[in-house]
Amino acid sequence: MLIDACNIRKVFNGRKDKQETVAISDLSLGIERNEFVAIVGPSGCGKSTFLLMVAGLEKPSAGTLTIEGLPIKGPGVHRSIVFQEYLLFPWRTVEGNIEFGPRMRKVSKDDCRAGSRDLIELMGLKGFEDCYPHELSGGMRQRVAIARALANKPEVLLMDEPFGALDALTRESMQLELQNIWLKTRCTVLFVTHSISEAVFLADRVVVMSKRPGIIKEEILIDLERPRTREMHTTKEFRDYEAHLEGIVWEEVN
Amino acid sequence: MGQFKYRKFVSPILVLLIWQGISAYGIVPNWFLPIPTEVLKTLVGMMMSGEVPHHTLISLGRAVSGYLLAAVVGIALGLLIAWSTLIEDFFDPLIELIRPLSTFALIPIFFLWFGIGNTSKILIIFKSCFFPIVINTIAGIKGVDSKLIMAAQSLGANGFQLWTRVLLPSALPMIITGLRISTAIAMMALVGVEMLSSDSGLGFLVIDAQRTFDTERVFAGIGILSILGFSLDKLARYIQSKVLAWHSETSLGGGM
Ligand SMILES: Nc1ncnc2c1ncn2[C@@H]1O[C@H](COP(=O)(O)OP(=O)(O)OP(=O)(O)O)[C@@H](O)[C@H]1O
Ligand SMILES: [Mg+2]
Repeated sequence: MLIDACNIRKVFNGRKDKQETVAISDLSLGIERNEFVAIVGPSGCGKSTFLLMVAGLEKPSAGTLTIEGLPIKGPGVHRSIVFQEYLLFPWRTVEGNIEFGPRMRKVSKDDCRAGSRDLIELMGLKGFEDCYPHELSGGMRQRVAIARALANKPEVLLMDEPFGALDALTRESMQLELQNIWLKTRCTVLFVTHSISEAVFLADRVVVMSKRPGIIKEEILIDLERPRTREMHTTKEFRDYEAHLEGIVWEEVN
Repeated sequence: MGQFKYRKFVSPILVLLIWQGISAYGIVPNWFLPIPTEVLKTLVGMMMSGEVPHHTLISLGRAVSGYLLAAVVGIALGLLIAWSTLIEDFFDPLIELIRPLSTFALIPIFFLWFGIGNTSKILIIFKSCFFPIVINTIAGIKGVDSKLIMAAQSLGANGFQLWTRVLLPSALPMIITGLRISTAIAMMALVGVEMLSSDSGLGFLVIDAQRTFDTERVFAGIGILSILGFSLDKLARYIQSKVLAWHSETSLGGGM
């Protein structure tokens, strides 16, 4: 087990007058090394909160959260996160944003540049290297955020609805691209999405969370061969996985 | 910046024409409202004689010294206050007590302590510029999106890098706004203090002309002050737009 979450609880103390929010009540989840895990669940059930805790940016209120057996105490450069809100640095260009991580780690300028060139190519951002985030469309910002996370060559990649702002076609090609990256680098991926079909397409295992306060409602292994292709969307197995998951999520929403 | 707009010249020219009409045809006496063309002549004369350049340089020297002092001390203290609650709790009451005090109310004390020379003039300009700068610096740093800090931390930024690579650039628009507000304030304080006690500077020029009822010189002096203030603000805007090139145009108040 690479990442092990045991009876995690997360409570946010609101401001003075507001009552506290129990975001996650009792969540246990283990993630194997090199596994691709997708998380789906209703809005507000604590998916982003869980990802932030694995990233070391939020602390669990109770329970234990470990990586390689050691408690997660803070952020680590081998765990990269793609935030739901992108959170690009508005004063840095596309290139500057992508190079941020390596630069903080004192990687030489040339190596930073070479790395960012590759990622710009990979993410289809060529020609926009010198643009500032406010000059980009939502989908392009999202791709910059993904490239920025990949620049640190993470062993664990945490992605919070990374393709939410993309059109259907770009989304499909990014899914294939992510699968390629994952097959090549064999990093561990924790992937939050609202799209059940995306979850089935990408993941080894899909985890369904209940509505707030979140717990794990069901886990389903996706036994489809790799690499997965666009054509698989229409196979019976794929459809069955989708229908089954949709049934569970639908119960939660109502 | 948008393109050059001729429309913007209509109202000033109209005002000048009406003014010229009223004063040149004797509707009001000229010691009350001088003729614009005569003011211009006086102004040119004062330029040629070296009087205007002399006083302008003296005034600028005072304004720039007070302003730069306020900028350096204000930004440094603002950063320290935003960094440590201990420092904040120490300085905050002082700032809140002194800030609302009118600069002019402090002038007698400054004169008493530092004499009526340049020192107290520079310190008075410093006092009036300092607070907008320090307060904008604090607000700029404290207003940084906490999630942006998280993003930087997860990418591997350490404490020092957070300050230099995230907090400062992120707060820069606010800090620069404070610096820009203070350029106008510096000019106001400058003229005020030079009128109260001085034998040089543009403020002195205006008040001295008024004492001898030379209204044309009064208007000429005001004209110079107005041009100076306008140019300083343009310069500040230009620097702002250069430094904040990444900032979306609309929030700079530039453009159309
Ligand atoms: N910093 C915070 N302070 C207070 N409450 C918070 C904070 N962050 C999250 N919450 C609350 O915790 C709950 C879970 O939020 P979270 O963002 O994890 O949901 P989510 O599953 O990611 O939802 P979505 O699918 O809409 O992104 C919500 O009720 C939210 O209001
Ligand atoms: Mg979320």
